[in-house]
Amino acid sequence: TNVKSVFLLQLKVLICRNYKGDVDMAEIDHFMPLLMQHEEEGLICPVISHGNVHFLWIKHSNLYLVAMTNKNSNASLVYSFLYKLVEVFTEYFKELEEESIQDNFVVVYELLDELMDFGFPQTTDSKILQEYITQEGAKLEVAKSKVPTTVTNAVSWRSEGIKYKKNEVFIDVIESINVLRGIEPGVNANGSVMSSDIVGSIKLKTMLSGMPELRLGLNDRVLFALTGRDKGKTVVMEDVKFHQCVRLSRFESDRTISFIPPDGESELMSYRINTHVKPLIWIESVIEKFSHSRVEIMVKAKGQFKKQSVANNVEVRVPVPSDADSPKFKTSTGHAKYVPEKNLVVWTIKSFPGGKEFLMRAHFGLPSVENDELEGKPPITVKFEIPYFTVSGIQVRYMKIIEKSGYQALPWVRYITQSGDYQLRTNV
Amino acid sequence: MPYLGSEDMVKELRRALSNPNVQSDQLRYRNTILKVIRAMSQGVDVSGLFSEIVKACATVDIVQKKLVYVFLCSYAALNPELSLLVINTLRKDCQDPNPMVRSLALRNMTNLRLSSLVEYVEQPLTAGLRDRAACVRRVAVLGWAKLHNLQPNSEIDATVVNELYSLLRDPDPVVMVNCLRALEEILKEEGGVAINKPIAHHLLNRLKECDVWGQCEVLRILERYRPQSDDELFDILSLLDTSLVSQHPPVMAATLSLFLSLCSALPAVSLSALERVRAPLLAACGSTSRELRFTALCHIQLLLRSVPGLMGAHYKRFFCGYAEPAYIKQRKMQVLVELVNDENVAMLLDELKGYCTDVNTDTAQAAISAIGRIGRSYSDQCLQILTGLLGLKQEHITSAVVQTMRDLVWVCPQCSDTVCLALEGCEENLQDTQGRQALLWLLGVYGERISSAPYVLEVFIDGVRSETSLEVKMELLTATLRLFLCRPAETQDMLGRLLHYCIEEETDMCVRDQALLYYHLLHCGIEETRKVLQGRRSDPSLGVLIGRPVEPISQWAHSFNTLEPLRQGTVTTDSSNKGSPEHVTSDPKPNSDLSDDLKPCQIETVQTASDSASLCTEYSTDALSSSAVAPLSLSLSPALSPEEFERLWLQRQSLHAEQGGEEKEDGDYLCTEECVQCPTIPHCSPQNLQAALQLVNIQTLAFTPPHTLPWRVYLYTHTHSSCSASKPPSTLILGELLYTGEPKEDCSKMVMEGSHEQLTTEGEEAAVDRLRGRESARQQSQTEDVKVTLKQQPRDDKALKGFLSVLTTVLHTLSTETT
Repeated sequence: TNVKSVFLLQLKVLICRNYKGDVDMAEIDHFMPLLMQHEEEGLICPVISHGNVHFLWIKHSNLYLVAMTNKNSNASLVYSFLYKLVEVFTEYFKELEEESIQDNFVVVYELLDELMDFGFPQTTDSKILQEYITQEGAKLEVAKSKVPTTVTNAVSWRSEGIKYKKNEVFIDVIESINVLRGIEPGVNANGSVMSSDIVGSIKLKTMLSGMPELRLGLNDRVLFALTGRDKGKTVVMEDVKFHQCVRLSRFESDRTISFIPPDGESELMSYRINTHVKPLIWIESVIEKFSHSRVEIMVKAKGQFKKQSVANNVEVRVPVPSDADSPKFKTSTGHAKYVPEKNLVVWTIKSFPGGKEFLMRAHFGLPSVENDELEGKPPITVKFEIPYFTVSGIQVRYMKIIEKSGYQALPWVRYITQSGDYQLRTNV
Repeated sequence: MPYLGSEDMVKELRRALSNPNVQSDQLRYRNTILKVIRAMSQGVDVSGLFSEIVKACATVDIVQKKLVYVFLCSYAALNPELSLLVINTLRKDCQDPNPMVRSLALRNMTNLRLSSLVEYVEQPLTAGLRDRAACVRRVAVLGWAKLHNLQPNSEIDATVVNELYSLLRDPDPVVMVNCLRALEEILKEEGGVAINKPIAHHLLNRLKECDVWGQCEVLRILERYRPQSDDELFDILSLLDTSLVSQHPPVMAATLSLFLSLCSALPAVSLSALERVRAPLLAACGSTSRELRFTALCHIQLLLRSVPGLMGAHYKRFFCGYAEPAYIKQRKMQVLVELVNDENVAMLLDELKGYCTDVNTDTAQAAISAIGRIGRSYSDQCLQILTGLLGLKQEHITSAVVQTMRDLVWVCPQCSDTVCLALEGCEENLQDTQGRQALLWLLGVYGERISSAPYVLEVFIDGVRSETSLEVKMELLTATLRLFLCRPAETQDMLGRLLHYCIEEETDMCVRDQALLYYHLLHCGIEETRKVLQGRRSDPSLGVLIGRPVEPISQWAHSFNTLEPLRQGTVTTDSSNKGSPEHVTSDPKPNSDLSDDLKPCQIETVQTASDSASLCTEYSTDALSSSAVAPLSLSLSPALSPEEFERLWLQRQSLHAEQGGEEKEDGDYLCTEECVQCPTIPHCSPQNLQAALQLVNIQTLAFTPPHTLPWRVYLYTHTHSSCSASKPPSTLILGELLYTGEPKEDCSKMVMEGSHEQLTTEGEEAAVDRLRGRESARQQSQTEDVKVTLKQQPRDDKALKGFLSVLTTVLHTLSTETT
């Protein structure tokens, strides 16, 4: 990569950093007009070119992060870097938006200098950055006497001399389930699942003293096959990604996940499981549209998971035509609400036990003069959260913690399954 | 704070900065400087405060120091003299016990970008390279690159370069990678950092220590290294294997790029590398970042050009989510079109049908044109969907459907019956220029089969006065004239009115000229007019287009992992919306507006590609025949699309026909005909023939099915002669193999008639029957030859002769194999 400069904009440039000094910074003035023009023409694209300058951009809430380059750069690297910026800024300011940039512009300048030098990414780990780029001057004074070890350390993500009274690790296993259900070619029939997968992530909150060595054991099928064990349920993980602290060579040779954890919160690993999962909440819907008069909606939701489990905060979002009016609802549980600005009926069920079935009926009036604008066929989407349960059946078998001082530490494990991209297409 | 104009604000700030009371109170002083920086980042010109800020530099307060540096780096170029005042403070900071202070000072010293300060900066930079803190060494290494960048023509200090080379062994991986980056910059003139065997292996061994950014840098620079033996090459490849399936898309892409460059002479290894990256690429397509998803999709499109079946089983991964942005949906559709096969076609079309009603009209139209592309192989299913879409009576959908149908019948004339039926009544839902243009073209060409054609044209002609589109008026002229040729009674009157209007009242010169041309043409007689207007048609017997030719990896390897693939597709998608297929401009490649500096390595790579191809051809020609052939190399690049082929072929055809000669030659063009004895060739399978010809770098584009008569094959290649400077360096050869089953004496006549006169389906069937009869009668006859018609541009007899000898050898070899 050779990024010439980076800009943060919201209609106008909020902050810019010129890394190479050999490009005209005024080039950025072409960015917004070009973007708007492309938007109008429906040809929006993450690369915008003007002459021999190329803008690679991403959008975060209403903020544009733009990298300007005039070399033939490696696109995925530039985008990854821009997302890294978002990640670092978000960890610093909680929310990355115009206001937080304005309030913290000095830190933003500093971070931009540390993250990249002469167009090349440098220190991008936010844990390390937080050790010496701090928002309060007072802290910096202290830092002056203490040389941050991480910058020179072999273990760059953890500094030495961390102390806790009570040594604990909290492990969260979070799985998101993505479902896309199609429609049968027939009329109003509910189709079958076209694609589904599980995206899992294991997050740590480490409160451990010193330089602990951790080893995590999962019911990984490849591991069990390697060691010749064949007891109980195992899971095949694909696309496994690790935090940089995990020793990849060990994992590649004998599937052991061993690491010195970063202090505090971090994502240890993520994985994807590409199996055909039964949708945990199954929706059957009948949406009948009688032109010029009314729409009738019947939605049945069924919990297709164990009776002992309970899904919390279930939301079923059913699309309705934009010109619908006078809503009437009837639900067997929970409550339904019309959200006209999003053209949705949101049916909320606070707690939804496994194996149960609930019903919602809605009735809308339609104006006699039909809206002849083409409306897409938005899908029904579902949101939910099921604690103490993973769809894939993945389990933490053990977490070994060894530190040379020999303290005892407790690992705490929590499982949760939630909806990811959960779409059920409809006919109307 | 009260509102102040920027001038007042600067005045106010200057007063505060020079106030001794403020200066003595550290907190107040710092806050005032903060205000200056805030004003600066809001676009206020605070450069006037330079001297006041310089004074604030000498402080122990680190925060204040950083603020001052931000200011100085922005305005130093405007005040080089005053900046000299800062340099002492900066140099002092370079000796601070705190490494953070040292690196900060060093970095800002080099960021001032002042050539006048170079002499003061060199000493601290040299010391910085040997600093015990890695963070200082990181900054110092890049500092040298910045210094060189500031004075690109200055003498390169050999000791610095040596020191940077030795720092490649620094324990800190970022220092190592920064050294590579700095040397690249400093040694730019000499082709960048030199990678010998020890350095290459050192970098490979330390690859795992680097972060994602560092790995990508190392992998990119290693592309320059050429292993000395196959053993070494395979050692390197196995070291890289884990990076190849890395879950970080940038690392995976950089590794694949390195693989392709290392294995450019080993196509089989490159292909297996493409197989290896399938899983990580698919994972990147599911990335939460839509830009990374988009990038992955664009790169998958590149890979599919060489391995069309790579993603076949995973087609569902390319289904669009409802909320995905249009640019991703359109790319996914382009990929889906490539993945279609007998098993998934129903599912895929059903999915695409769903996208046709997308709220985004561009996405909807892209979906419709995707269905049209699939229609070239699965016309019945696709036409059914397209016809159904007309029923929605939506303007943008109808327009896209009519354009798609036009493009489809051009390639697959057998679809014309269904299209003619579907067109009835759709003119009511057409508003835009392109859609109406497509409809007019169809009405002109198939007017005799669309009963309402004259009435539709009449409506257009009645409204011609208020017509604003130039293109529509020109298309209308052509369509009316064409319809007149087949339905004169119904059309004569309105044609007269249209010509009258266009010649007498129309203000646009193009329209007027075209009308005048047609008017004079009609004076020459109906037959002449017919020849001009109905000459060019696709040959309906050429139904089987054998997919898209598989391209060698070298065709696209140079653009892999750059911005190019991200920009390409957007241009190709709408090339079909540019009017009638006949009018496809002579521009062979979509004119991507990538600037030149984006493809610096392209020329070079193409060169090597053809080199390797030449080796291959020479080898195979030697193996195939012992006859002495002039040194000649054939290559498939640049690839020619069927549409371009047809255009070039027909363009030559008409020239040829006008001259009426057997052999037509002018300075840069040559057309010749030969007969080759290989009677069994027309009976061998298209796949065999295609494979055999591809071995010697001849690409086949279209076939008639085996055993049909007349049997035809179209092919092309590029020749490159390396020997003489007087000859053109490369030529394009288009060829046709024709087998009529007739004895030799007649076949030349058949070529003349068969290829530019369109036979009606009925007539043709009769002709085929007749020919079959004759064929069986002469089953044993040895006089049956395959006629080879070749068109070459620019002319180069020697190369053409060489090509013919290669072709003949292949045909003979195949012929003996088949018997």
